[in-house]
Amino acid sequence: MEQSWNRVSEHRESKPLEGKARYFEQALWPHLRSAYNLARWLARNDQDAEDIVQEAFTKAFQAQERLRGGDPRVWLLAIVRNTTMNFLRRRKQGSAEAVEAAREPADRSPDPEARLIDQSRRDQVRAAIDRLAPEFRETIILRELDELSYKEIAAVLNVPIGTVMSRLSRARDLLMEQLMMKEGERQ
Amino acid sequence: MNCPEAQPLLHAYLDRELDPANTLLLEQHMGECAGCAERYRLLEQLHSEIVESDLAYQPGKTLEKKIAALGRGGSARKWWSLHSWRMALVAVAAAMLVVFLPALNIFHSTGFEEELVDNHIRSLQPGHLVDVPSSDQHTVKPWFQGKVSFSPNVPDLASQGFPLVGGRLEVIGARQAAAIVYKRREHVINVFVLPEESGGKAKPQFRGYHIIGWKRGGLQYWAVSDLNEAELRQFVEMLRK
Repeated sequence: MEQSWNRVSEHRESKPLEGKARYFEQALWPHLRSAYNLARWLARNDQDAEDIVQEAFTKAFQAQERLRGGDPRVWLLAIVRNTTMNFLRRRKQGSAEAVEAAREPADRSPDPEARLIDQSRRDQVRAAIDRLAPEFRETIILRELDELSYKEIAAVLNVPIGTVMSRLSRARDLLMEQLMMKEGERQ
Repeated sequence: MNCPEAQPLLHAYLDRELDPANTLLLEQHMGECAGCAERYRLLEQLHSEIVESDLAYQPGKTLEKKIAALGRGGSARKWWSLHSWRMALVAVAAAMLVVFLPALNIFHSTGFEEELVDNHIRSLQPGHLVDVPSSDQHTVKPWFQGKVSFSPNVPDLASQGFPLVGGRLEVIGARQAAAIVYKRREHVINVFVLPEESGGKAKPQFRGYHIIGWKRGGLQYWAVSDLNEAELRQFVEMLRK
């Protein structure tokens, strides 16, 4: 795959405009869904996620030479993730309340058993992931929804592979706790 | 291997990231230790609950359009300058096509996987995925009548988790081809169907996309997707039944 990507890069240099359109179509566009999904899970709001994705795509489109031979999906997701972090930080400075709303899930009921009532299993799973701290949430999303490898997740989050593994393990423990999955109980 | 050693490896085993030597040791340990086997069962259950809950958020049409516009060069002025540049290129390309037509054919046969993947990627642009949107095989199959000179196989695989999305006309190898579109969660699968004589040979992987091809009744079938290879293979097996 790397090989063919390099060939595209060479092709790009000789035809700058065509190359740019080609780069967009092949490297960025196919990953719009992954990009939006990650931004949406981290920002917890449709409008913010849309703004973040637009900003991230603009950056990625302008900085194409920095991709070099790398994996475009990993590269784009890393940009989306950093853009999201900056976005949330900016908002934090702007309004403490908004950040609080972003950090705290809508449901603050302290008793996990009470939370499970009246929710479909799908909503329960969604809510449980939503309640995870951002570093656990992003790791679970990249692994379970985007099916990225440990190495790819490490590259997106810019952390060692060992950190990816410990976050995954902790995130899954928390999820099982929230979803009342206990050893010895079959569902 | 004992329990404290086994526990942290359960995740890597679940995620297929464990090396063969440790996989063997861990499987051996789980065969003997009910506690670790149970722990693994729970991890597997959690994994399938997350996957089956289909939790991916989808970008809206407005965002898709804005991003697509960005790819065309952003502002209207830029788009026009890009456009005129392109028109010049098209003219040059057309002239070259006449002169170098035989050479181009040779290029074509070596880059078949590129053509398949390019068609797949193009289909993902807004409004390009299907000409006939339908999850009903009895709508999609007859739609191709009179549009292509063959009748592609369009089985219903919704109950196996691969719902039909629709069909589309394609041009592959300068000939009419049928594209049948299925989905797996948010992954799009294009199945290209074309007469054997206009087909070619393709590598199993290109630019991160998986490609699986097979022949049937004088036709070539090519499944192309960003779906993981195991599930795409599973899909193809069901499709061929």
